[in-house]
Amino acid sequence: MTAPVLSLENISKTFGALIATSGLSLDVRAGEIHALIGPNGAGKTTLIQQIYGALSPDSGSIFLNGDDITSLSVPARVRKGIGRSFQISNVLTGFSVLENAIIAEQARRGHCFSFLSPAFSDASLIAGAEQLLDRVGLLARASQQVAALAHGERRMLELALALAGQPSLLLLDEPMAGAGIEDSQHMTQIIDQLRGKVAILLIEHDMDAVFRLADRITVLVEGQIIAVGTPDEISQNQHVKAAYLGDDS
Amino acid sequence: MAGILRILGIIGSGMAHNRMLWLVVAGFGLFPIFTHVADLPFWNDLAMRIMLLGIAAMGLNLVLGYGGMVSFGHAAFIGIGAYCVGISQYYGLMDGWLHILFALLACGITGLIIGVLALRTSGIYFIMITLGFAQMLFFLFVSLENFGGDDGMSIDRAEFGIIDLYEPLRLYFLIWGVLVLVGVMLMVIVRSRFGVTLQAIKSNETRVEAMGLVPLHYKLVSYVMSAMICGLAGALFASWQEYVSPDIMHWTRSGELMIIIILGGLGTLAGPIIGAIVFLLLEEFLPLMLETLLPAYAENWMIIFGPLLVLVVLFGRGGLVGLINRIIDRLKGSSASRGRS
Repeated sequence: MTAPVLSLENISKTFGALIATSGLSLDVRAGEIHALIGPNGAGKTTLIQQIYGALSPDSGSIFLNGDDITSLSVPARVRKGIGRSFQISNVLTGFSVLENAIIAEQARRGHCFSFLSPAFSDASLIAGAEQLLDRVGLLARASQQVAALAHGERRMLELALALAGQPSLLLLDEPMAGAGIEDSQHMTQIIDQLRGKVAILLIEHDMDAVFRLADRITVLVEGQIIAVGTPDEISQNQHVKAAYLGDDS
Repeated sequence: MAGILRILGIIGSGMAHNRMLWLVVAGFGLFPIFTHVADLPFWNDLAMRIMLLGIAAMGLNLVLGYGGMVSFGHAAFIGIGAYCVGISQYYGLMDGWLHILFALLACGITGLIIGVLALRTSGIYFIMITLGFAQMLFFLFVSLENFGGDDGMSIDRAEFGIIDLYEPLRLYFLIWGVLVLVGVMLMVIVRSRFGVTLQAIKSNETRVEAMGLVPLHYKLVSYVMSAMICGLAGALFASWQEYVSPDIMHWTRSGELMIIIILGGLGTLAGPIIGAIVFLLLEEFLPLMLETLLPAYAENWMIIFGPLLVLVVLFGRGGLVGLINRIIDRLKGSSASRGRS
């Protein structure tokens, strides 16, 4: 087995009396789509925030590709290879789709402290940005303003921005949230195409998408993992049925 | 030549408000001919004042309009720039280039210190902390009895090599040259990778962080640059006024700069200078107009001035530049539809 891309070792996080993460350990392997599910308030987003660096755990360690990143800031973690989409879609409003991608592309190349060369007319940046948009099927919309995009297209753009940094780990926080059936299917298809190229940690409430996409599923309840396994194993698991899936059926 | 024009946005696909900026700048360049022919030398003085405040507002606009940081203390940098001239002269240094160098250095360093501390906050706290630092500096200069304290100190116009600022129009064209320089600089910066990143931070700081960039670095650099531009304006202001007192950095001037920018058009290149023209012309002529129409109310010209500003802000989204752009679009649109029918 290859070394995991992401490795959480015994991390804990409390907010006052509320235990959001409780001695949790988890591995995300290279190239796998790993879904994180659990009822509302299970601590999924808190966990993502700790992996991302927006929150720091009270104890425990986080490793990315073998490096301890527990004390690194968000931008430092991004440069080490974490990409992220947010629960509420998060793109640069007031810019066009192509301009969004150009800014992401120049951020990856890491020379944003140039005061002379114009950004939006740089041929090599445009080429990189167009490639990025092509990956999520937005190239035809490149000249549109972000405000003119449909909800699903915004989600796609956000995914493109998250992929721009060529991350080794992609954190997707409810990418299907608020999307219609068609958008969900399109998103599922795009995420499926990323399998094997980048490790993905996916939080999602759409169980059809989760069971179609995930190589492994981790079930989180009250800040603790109650089960890890393949979709088949999880759907057979009695604890999971009782704690979570049982509520739905 | 065509290449330069294209870079300046005068021809080609440049933004319309670039063209507006260069039109205004050219207007200032030709203005002395008008005042000479019409024999109105007083107007040159007003034009210099407009250009000086315009330059300072352009500096603040980098932070306020392009970076989304509402700094309520930029008058302090004008003051520091002006006092660099006053204090240098107090110690017998008359070289204007040296004054400008000191002003840039002093404002760069002060801007860095204030920026590092203030940019850790945002929103209303940032407004208050920048105002707080500006007030601190204001009272610092009030307390410096050596340099005139409250009353300020009168100074001579600086010496710029062979250019004698006491000759007619020399100071005018020095200020105009700086206006051109600052205009070109800002236009290039705003389109550069740095400028684009700064505007991205204004749009969505979280997303920029998620791209692996540290927003604070970009904000800080823009803050220091805008402080230095205001310092440059301040150094010239001192030579124009031949006098410097803490009044130049009173907090109301910080407000004035913000009003000028919002009036002209936030985050546009031409906005600050157009805002400065309208603001100072109103300030100059509203009282005169009232004096002839309603002599009893001449002192209360702000009663008209205030609502006028509110109207522009409410109905001219994007300030005067936005208004002008919409009018141009409408004219183009109506001529295009005439062509079709």
